[in-house]
Amino acid sequence: MKQKVLKTATRNEAIVTYIILALCVLIGLKNSAFLDVSTGISLARAMLVTLIFALCEMVTIISGGIDVSFPAVASLALYATSTLAVALDINNVFLLFLAAGAIGLICGIINGLLIVKCKIPPLIATLGMSSVLNGGTLAFIGTRELSSLPSGMNELSRAFLFTYVNEQGISYSMTIFILVPIILCILVFFILRYTVLGRGIYAVGGDENAARIAGFNVSRIKYCVYGFSGLFAGIGGLIYVILMRQANPQVLMGDEMMVIAAVVIGGTKITGGYGTVIGTVLGVGLIALVENNLIMLGVPSHFQTFMVGLIIVLGTSITALREKYGSKAVRRQKKS
Amino acid sequence: MKTWLRTRDKNTLSLFLLALVIFIIMGILSPRQFLGVTNLQGMCVQFPEYGIMAIGMMICMMAGGIDLSLVGIANLAGILATVCMTSISGTAGIAAGLITALATGLVCGMINSFFIGILKIPPMLVTLCGLQLYTGIGLAITKGPALTGLPAEISLITSGTIAGIPIVLIIFIAAAAVMSYVLNQTVYGQELCFYGCNDKASRYSGINNLKVIFKTYMLSGLLGSICGIIMISHYNSAKSDYGNTYTLLTLLIAVLGGTSPDGGKGKVSGVVMAILVLQIVSSSFNILRVNSYIKTFVWGMILIIVMVAGYLIRRRKETA
Repeated sequence: MKQKVLKTATRNEAIVTYIILALCVLIGLKNSAFLDVSTGISLARAMLVTLIFALCEMVTIISGGIDVSFPAVASLALYATSTLAVALDINNVFLLFLAAGAIGLICGIINGLLIVKCKIPPLIATLGMSSVLNGGTLAFIGTRELSSLPSGMNELSRAFLFTYVNEQGISYSMTIFILVPIILCILVFFILRYTVLGRGIYAVGGDENAARIAGFNVSRIKYCVYGFSGLFAGIGGLIYVILMRQANPQVLMGDEMMVIAAVVIGGTKITGGYGTVIGTVLGVGLIALVENNLIMLGVPSHFQTFMVGLIIVLGTSITALREKYGSKAVRRQKKS
Repeated sequence: MKTWLRTRDKNTLSLFLLALVIFIIMGILSPRQFLGVTNLQGMCVQFPEYGIMAIGMMICMMAGGIDLSLVGIANLAGILATVCMTSISGTAGIAAGLITALATGLVCGMINSFFIGILKIPPMLVTLCGLQLYTGIGLAITKGPALTGLPAEISLITSGTIAGIPIVLIIFIAAAAVMSYVLNQTVYGQELCFYGCNDKASRYSGINNLKVIFKTYMLSGLLGSICGIIMISHYNSAKSDYGNTYTLLTLLIAVLGGTSPDGGKGKVSGVVMAILVLQIVSSSFNILRVNSYIKTFVWGMILIIVMVAGYLIRRRKETA
């Protein structure tokens, strides 16, 4: 019993939670405005799209691969659908989501094809795709930022779950889109834990050959993983457009580093085979907290990139060190 | 002649032919612009910047790793060198700046290899974090805007020529020659190949893997810092986000040049050929006034096509 408690208290997720709590206390002590419902709401808003991307990335990394093309996929999906919506004045948002999802899915399947059929290492395949998609979007669709979106999209950006008004009378509203990552979290959790496909993803990430011998269809699992990643990259991209009320084909580029870092801080093994939804949520939360609230600690804005980098380095080192010494401890136990 | 051709690497040869074909096509399409001295000299000045970086990427990939932090190292080295040169005047300042830049590269490489070799964190992750960290330090020093006020002598590196040959080109050729010598003729070069092929086997055969890792990433950091010096000379200022497309470009060049992403295989000659192909394509696009975003598109396409073609050739060999 005691061992079990100790084990839970020193798990990677727990360590990230301690770091988050410590940061919150630190920021709260320095600036009492932090400890307010409004911070939670703006933090949730900042995390929203990143969380969708991070969940896709986590599934890809668990399967032993990596996807650095999702910002390009999302940019293509968001810009193509927004351009179309503006040109034809489409107000049916459902249709737009369908289109964005389809574009994403196709890109994801192409990634899968390159990785499964042509046996190109995932990093290089998705890097190449990223270059092709982003270059293609900018060269063939356009580079101009679209800010006057159809009214159907604008209306949806004002759909709120609840509104909180603070003492100064400034209202903070929780957008309805927060439901998307929440549902996605639950979905991914159930798929990874309770379905054959989910167990297959872990198996492929742990040891591809062993998974094949055990009877998993490795190719199909990989197609599913990259297809899923593309699908939700597209949907996440469109959500970003609706929340920001403007479509910019370049704004998401470069996000991949941060998302991968968030996933790894959350305890997902970069070599595959291990990772949890809760860990990823915490990892994204930590990075969002650092990115958005360091300014409250009085850290000048030009120090932020450095601070975020430092926290990522520390987070990944802790994960790696735990793994190194954890496995040694297990071996020692087995010996005795 | 025939045996000489047979012993050459097929990949390098096909890249050479590709470069030649594009060169001839462009020579016919717009002879005056493309074959003019300005264009040829311009081409020679442009590629050393990312070419030297690509060699650094290649040796890391030969070790079975990757170095995504090269651009961060280059910018940080450039910024620190600029700080030195602007605070100390005269030749002493320039010398101090150059030494600082090279030392920065070595230290950044050492940090990378500490995390990779001793803490055993995957290279991709370490260098990804490294990029963020080094860019962040650079940003903290410059506070955002570009640092200017470099001594005039520094811009000579990119604008000056010796007997008609641009100085940067000489630096590039020297770097390529030295790296080629190191990889082919020294014990370290052999150890690097062994380590990249199979790190367990190399350890059991008595190679100090940790030493190989440290040497590799420090060497790559050093090459990155040389690029940093060329970059500050080129832009005549230092900033934390210059050349942020180079990460993809250098990876593309290394893979195109026949470097195996799994480690163990790589050739300086292949990388040099890949650089030539990309530079010729890029210059042709500029002359034909094609939208610059199409360049990104085409580079990605070339990367994917080369990888797919490599796979198809390998499969044909296996079935034959």
